[in-house]
Amino acid sequence: MMKTETSTAPAPAAFEPRITAFVCNWCTYAGADLAGTSRLQYASNMRIIKLPCTGRIDPLFVLKAFENGADAVLVSGCHPGDCHYTSGNYHARRRWTLFRKLLALTGIGDDRLFFSWVSAAEGQKFADLVNDVTAKVRKAGPFRAAHPGRRAS
Amino acid sequence: MKTIETGRLPDLAQALSAAGYRVVAPIEEGGVVRFREWAPGLAIAPGVVPANSLKDFLFPRSEVVARFALEPGGFSPAPVERSAVKTAVLCARPCDAAALAALDAVFNWDYRDGAYNARREAATVVSLACSKADEHCFCTSVGGAPDGVAGADAILRPADGGRLLVLDALTEKGRALDQAAAGALAEGPAALDAPAALPRRFDPEAVGRWLAANFESPFWKEAALACLGCGACAYACPVCHCFDLQDETDRAECRRLRNWDSCGFGLFTLHASGHNPRPDQSARWRQRVMHKFSIYPQKFKTLACTGCGRCSRLCQAGMAIAATCERIEALGR
Amino acid sequence: MKALREAAEKLLREKRVSLVIGYEGRKGRPAFFAAKPEDCGRLAYDASCRQNLAAYLGKPEIRARLPVALVAPPAVLRSIVVMSAESQVAPGQVLALAVDGDSYLGTFDAAGAAELLRAKYSTLAPEPALLERVQGLLQKSPAERAAFWEAEFSKCTRCYACRAACPGCYCSRCIVEKNAPQWISTAALGHGNYTWNVMRAFHQSGRCTLCGACEAACPQGLPLMLLNAALDREALEEFGSRPGYDPEAKPLIGSWSADDDHSYMR
Repeated sequence: MMKTETSTAPAPAAFEPRITAFVCNWCTYAGADLAGTSRLQYASNMRIIKLPCTGRIDPLFVLKAFENGADAVLVSGCHPGDCHYTSGNYHARRRWTLFRKLLALTGIGDDRLFFSWVSAAEGQKFADLVNDVTAKVRKAGPFRAAHPGRRAS
Repeated sequence: MKTIETGRLPDLAQALSAAGYRVVAPIEEGGVVRFREWAPGLAIAPGVVPANSLKDFLFPRSEVVARFALEPGGFSPAPVERSAVKTAVLCARPCDAAALAALDAVFNWDYRDGAYNARREAATVVSLACSKADEHCFCTSVGGAPDGVAGADAILRPADGGRLLVLDALTEKGRALDQAAAGALAEGPAALDAPAALPRRFDPEAVGRWLAANFESPFWKEAALACLGCGACAYACPVCHCFDLQDETDRAECRRLRNWDSCGFGLFTLHASGHNPRPDQSARWRQRVMHKFSIYPQKFKTLACTGCGRCSRLCQAGMAIAATCERIEALGR
Repeated sequence: MKALREAAEKLLREKRVSLVIGYEGRKGRPAFFAAKPEDCGRLAYDASCRQNLAAYLGKPEIRARLPVALVAPPAVLRSIVVMSAESQVAPGQVLALAVDGDSYLGTFDAAGAAELLRAKYSTLAPEPALLERVQGLLQKSPAERAAFWEAEFSKCTRCYACRAACPGCYCSRCIVEKNAPQWISTAALGHGNYTWNVMRAFHQSGRCTLCGACEAACPQGLPLMLLNAALDREALEEFGSRPGYDPEAKPLIGSWSADDDHSYMR
């Protein structure tokens, strides 16, 4: 299904979320690339940071993104079993299960922190994911400047 | 005598607030009493030494000391706020007020710290004399007293068994505060309570003499075994003032921050080469004790310790600087 | 406590350890280091002893004097087992003088301590009141939770007493001490305090024995156990993790299973 616009109309105040995505080189980044070469349209609010593997993503990176102004963070990598480095994503998965609990307890929930598996062949999935996440974050609103995790300007 | 009921301290705070002072007072929160900004409705808790000292309001934990706006191709200095808010500190302890002299000395030594001086000038300190002391207090060992007036602009003395507090202005600032507080004070007789009885535990001069002559003593190895090298003591101490400069940059600007630092941290004296002249905790503990009782007094003619006891009160490992000084004095005999 | 003192004295007399680390009998129960058998008369233990003495196993000056013995209530026994599982202490380098309330339970090495824990303390868990507070917090909205932690973390002075008190924090250079880049702001404000406190707790995933020493050490009374207990329960529920019961256990975050949950991942 082709989309030419983001799936939800912007709020009257025209809040455009800034979303940071930490993705792995071999799967999700390639999937994003495929979305591009397939001319799939998707929301442009996401800034992608490429890493070799989701196993490289230190939870600290997620906090730095929020600190520096991200309204939401997406972490995406290879499906379990498909990791280019065999088990990097398994390590990551276990980490995220625990980390998201800590973030939820301290006020950063499922409306701001997203995880996915997107393979190199899933260009459409990537585009749909970005649109969906962006819509959700637009609805969630700006990451409150008063959240202790955000650097005061 | 000008008096106020101890239970009505918030009225005094209210009167000062109405007169334009920001009021700082000991306030209990989550089981911990600390000096913080008072707001109407908050009870004042004068019964214990607060976990923090007045240092928080004169030399804050983190402060921007320089600012640079980043632009394409370069940067330019941006102004830094240096104003100070007129502040009344209620129920400082005499040991807290006495510490101000030591801070004044170091912040006006080779460099006159404008931000510190502005806040110092804007602060009126009202001490509360102590009718009781705990096992960690030792002001009388370091030249202080439970009803000492050094550093205070005014003093509240307990009377009538603690029911009343008698206010005495000591300086110009104290007199101005007294006037501002007039509506909250009553006039009448009161029998002053005796200040806490606190026997002297050691002679700081004897300690200083031993310190100057025993840098290499094996005493230090064993004395610091319990210390785990955190910054709790240095940060709670009303006199400790070491800091670290850190630049933090985002897209728009670079801020140079002055953040508290502690000589207890392992990295405090780590050189870029990897060499550390204070390589273990015993060297760092030695430095802490020497700085307070030998090095600082030599330079500024005042001890860098006022016996408030915060360091030993909150050290979970049981490190106690007064006990160390007692042992040093015994060694010296 | 007589039995404890006698056991400690015996270890020193027989030179099985060069140092006994315990608590002193005087008020406040400060840490006490007995190098000579006759010093052991000063040892005592009771519920007011909140410091986790296993934290000394990370201190170079103590490591230089291994083998040592530690007075260890159940949570500290678990810490010793965790350190053993993480190869921070070799077998026989640490002996635990196990205590619980008024009782001295015996002298154990890490393996023996684990056996004792499995036999007599297999159901150690956070206090119900603590778990209720965690649940209470989870029932609030994200904005309320953020406000709660903003208020709490604003008190943090970054003294790192929590880190010093924890046996699990033994890195020779902590993440906050890395400045190329400076991952965590060293300013005792806002985001730096949030990041430090969250990462400190996170680095204890599957390793925290809920001894409470961090919260006890905090001069500002931060409710650190809320973070620790929440993570502890998640680690147990998701991965069956119970740190400190098996000296051969693999680290929780360092290992994985093909069956780990990922229902929240799209």
